[in-house]
Amino acid sequence: MSGELISVPIDVYRFDPSHDSAPRYQRYTLELPRHTPVLSALLKIRTDLDPSLSLRYSCRSSICGSCAMVINSKSRLACQTPVGPEVERHGRIVIDPMRNLPVLRDLVVEMAPFWGRYRKLEPHLIPDPNRPMPVDRENPMTPAEVERFKTTPRCIACGSCYSACPAVEHDPEFPGPMALAKLYRFVVDPRDGARQDRLVRIQAEGLWLCLRCHLCTESCPKEVEPSERIRDLKEMAIAVQGGTEHGSRHAVGFKDNIRERGILNELKLVRQTYNPLEALAQLPQGLKIARKKPETLHAPRKIEGQAEVEALYVALDDSKETP
Amino acid sequence: MKLAYYPGCVAQESGRELDQSTRWVAQRLGIELVEFPSFSCCGSGFVDEANSTLNVALNARNLALAEKAGLDLLTICSTCQGMLSLANHRLKDPAVRARVDPALAKIGVAYRGSVRVKHLLEVVTRDLGVDAIAKKVTRPLRGLKVGAFYGCHLLRPAGEVGGESGEEPRSFENLIAALGATPVLYRGRVMCCGFPILFVREGTANRIAATQIDDARAHGADALATPCPLCHISLDSFQNKAAKAVGHALDMPIFHLPQLIGLALGASPEELGLPRHLVATDAALAKIGQVSVPA
Repeated sequence: MSGELISVPIDVYRFDPSHDSAPRYQRYTLELPRHTPVLSALLKIRTDLDPSLSLRYSCRSSICGSCAMVINSKSRLACQTPVGPEVERHGRIVIDPMRNLPVLRDLVVEMAPFWGRYRKLEPHLIPDPNRPMPVDRENPMTPAEVERFKTTPRCIACGSCYSACPAVEHDPEFPGPMALAKLYRFVVDPRDGARQDRLVRIQAEGLWLCLRCHLCTESCPKEVEPSERIRDLKEMAIAVQGGTEHGSRHAVGFKDNIRERGILNELKLVRQTYNPLEALAQLPQGLKIARKKPETLHAPRKIEGQAEVEALYVALDDSKETP
Repeated sequence: MKLAYYPGCVAQESGRELDQSTRWVAQRLGIELVEFPSFSCCGSGFVDEANSTLNVALNARNLALAEKAGLDLLTICSTCQGMLSLANHRLKDPAVRARVDPALAKIGVAYRGSVRVKHLLEVVTRDLGVDAIAKKVTRPLRGLKVGAFYGCHLLRPAGEVGGESGEEPRSFENLIAALGATPVLYRGRVMCCGFPILFVREGTANRIAATQIDDARAHGADALATPCPLCHISLDSFQNKAAKAVGHALDMPIFHLPQLIGLALGASPEELGLPRHLVATDAALAKIGQVSVPA
């Protein structure tokens, strides 16, 4: 501890589209106390070594959310990441701009796509006509009502989750973890009148593209747990509307499938998710697989104690309350 | 070592080679697999999306069966591992208990919460230890570069499934090295295989699988190995579609975790069910001087 200095090799992504034909990494080596935040190291590079380095930052206290970047391949806040453990684990610190967003210069990215996907979800209160907004005073909630938000009010919209998300990376229709966590916040807001509409709309607008890889939850600097709130949204969406999309049909189909034998009937699940035409389109691939794995064509044996499984369904699924 | 064996649905159906190779390896490593023909499906993450309380109850019933026998539970699937661990975690919440316990009581089941859920990877690397495994290796996989593909639910959410690390695990790589092969580090090793949306948006799922395979190849991998049969479906059974989605050949052999261990312990490709794969493992087997599998 104390003021002992360690040598910190930092490889920083550099790219200025107006001058450079391709990005490159620039090595800076600093002598720093091991608890120094990566952000402070970058600012030291800028003041002492290279004023051309571009990055975004403001509060330096994990509140403003501007210094999100990729540090040794993890999306996180530079102000919240000390250099010591990184150097000990990786031997150096590699710094890249956030993923899934166009680079403007060095570590500065264009945030417009992040906000664009967010805005599509109407992230603002749509007042409930049955709970009129008072015009002359605030519209408070009870502490119990605030509890419903769970983790979501902590979000600082830094974009770490968006950068970490493979669904964002591979599908332009996925709204992103932060946008869905915020949507959850409005869905459970007792003052919001659009709960049902929001849940119906989101099913068709990308909710089921979440891969539940939980990389968003892992990368979030404020423990918002976006993947858990997305899971909650899925369950609430099914409760209001049932299986309307492939994703929800698959989830509901899977649940009903297990009930019958206690174990998954793989072949039947295809029919539960797809309509007959879609199922037919899967036939060539299904036959390819069945040639090597013929048991996919047969239903599995019921588990012993399937009656117990059935009883759990009767108790917890047949008369399910809306969560 | 004696454990309640939870093979999961896929290993009993389209992924039987996983069950087959697990039994072979368990026998050689002195792991006694106690069978429970009344274990139900873990819900695979899908039941959790449709009805989370039911999902916890189904897994609490599974856990209670192991508890009654006084055994910890062995999984061979990252997703089963994740779902059973998640149930253990959620059952610490009194509000969840209040919903689940009365339903369990109706079928005469009570779960105290004492069962530890362990994936084969953990049993091999932590309980037995990679050094002990290395001593049992009869055919080192020298010359083979293997990328570990962990499967999300084994790792995350780290706070709930209690894995080694959400984004920077090393146990699988340590095991690969102990088997004599060279572990390959690449970003995709902790990423998603695409499986959860294979039925939702197949094209995107295929592209995600291809991305991880391409990434592994770019870092020098000859083959991938996974502790998750769902990843295996996405990476092996649908690799032809992944290749089509990105417009180039992938040709990446995908091993199940116990198959890789089995090879180093001297099992034949047939004993490990390798002929059941859709992507031929011949090229990888040739590297370790093993005869190729008849087509």
